Amino acid sequence: MNVLILDGGSGNGRGGACRKLKEAALSEVRARGWNAAAFDLDKMNIKPCRGCFACWVKHPGVCAIQDDEADILKATVAADIRLMLTPVTFGGYGSALKKALDRSIPILLPFFIRVGGEVHHPQRYDGTRKILAVGTLPQPDPEAERIFHHLVCRNALNMASLQTETRIFYEEAGEEEARQVIREILPAAEVVP
Amino acid sequence: MSQAFLLVGSPKGTKSSSRVLGGYLMSKLAAGGMAVGEMSVGRALHSEEEMGRLLAEVEAAEIIVVAFPLYVDQLPAPLVGALETIAEKRTAATERGSEAEARPRQKILAIVNCGFPESFQNEPAVATMRQFAKQAGFHWAGGLALGMGGAVSAKPLEKLGGRVRNVVKALDLTAEALLRDADVPDEAKELMAKPLIPKRLYYVFANLGWKRQARKHGVHGQLRARPYA
Repeated sequence: MNVLILDGGSGNGRGGACRKLKEAALSEVRARGWNAAAFDLDKMNIKPCRGCFACWVKHPGVCAIQDDEADILKATVAADIRLMLTPVTFGGYGSALKKALDRSIPILLPFFIRVGGEVHHPQRYDGTRKILAVGTLPQPDPEAERIFHHLVCRNALNMASLQTETRIFYEEAGEEEARQVIREILPAAEVVP
Repeated sequence: MSQAFLLVGSPKGTKSSSRVLGGYLMSKLAAGGMAVGEMSVGRALHSEEEMGRLLAEVEAAEIIVVAFPLYVDQLPAPLVGALETIAEKRTAATERGSEAEARPRQKILAIVNCGFPESFQNEPAVATMRQFAKQAGFHWAGGLALGMGGAVSAKPLEKLGGRVRNVVKALDLTAEALLRDADVPDEAKELMAKPLIPKRLYYVFANLGWKRQARKHGVHGQLRARPYA
């Protein structure tokens, strides 16, 4: 089982909670004998997507920008589970995680297909995947939490996720609570098609 | 400083459908007597000086229009980064008290376009903008969500003919409302959400379009390549 951990904790003071979650995830994943590939996105050289679609029509599957995102894409393709950690930012993802996600479109095909009555892009690579996401907040915010859960579910649809789990982690909580959240969502990995 | 300020959130800047849609609305506000200005997010993030200019424009404007494409169900990352900076600055000012107390009511609205035919796929992005408005202390005036953004393809609306009639009407209604200090009308939201062309036709054209572009670049047979398999 290959687990990709995208730590989108930002350098603006809200990154501590994501770090706690990442450490908990690494520990829980290794305890199960699975492989983990973790990326601290804020420290990586990932330039913004230009929206040029060269990864679809010029050199299919490869982004026009050569930087650290290529390592993330390789790990994404190999992953059975994608775990995204991010400060909930206006209900959405923080800019560090979003930058990496914007650059992930080379793993999709350009064509349109219908999924559940809506139009989406097919996956470039075979295999099943599960999308897990934990968003952090300084304190409860029902509206931001609702937007976050909805967003992850929309993403999961576009990523053809077999099983999707989202949780909110309050930033003051400790390492044991972080471990608990990770233990709650990891069983999704065992779901089979 | 502008009364109405357009922030273009597309990485393609002035050559984007977002600029076309936002620019049209600004032209109507200008025709109604408002001083208008604009900036792209890419330019704002280029230097501290440009970011300072963006922050000053946002502080001074009565109406802020944020126009952007949907990227992975959300705002493009550079726009998220710019909004994080704006919210941080305004929150700090609110905590200090003085600037925030002196701040008049400022409206913010969003124009979102996506390549999918269904405009409702923009909903999480509109919700995020609404949440940003709340957290950063703006009055949320509403969001206009457009599907089939590919059919606009960064061309001036005037050159696109009848297929964008509902888009033009939606933006006209929005401009009229803003000029009389009202929010984005529901009718404008409904018109903007209407398909530009029949869904099935768009679907077929889009799939043919990708193949045509790949052929142009000599990679038609490699469209489904798996370089990382």
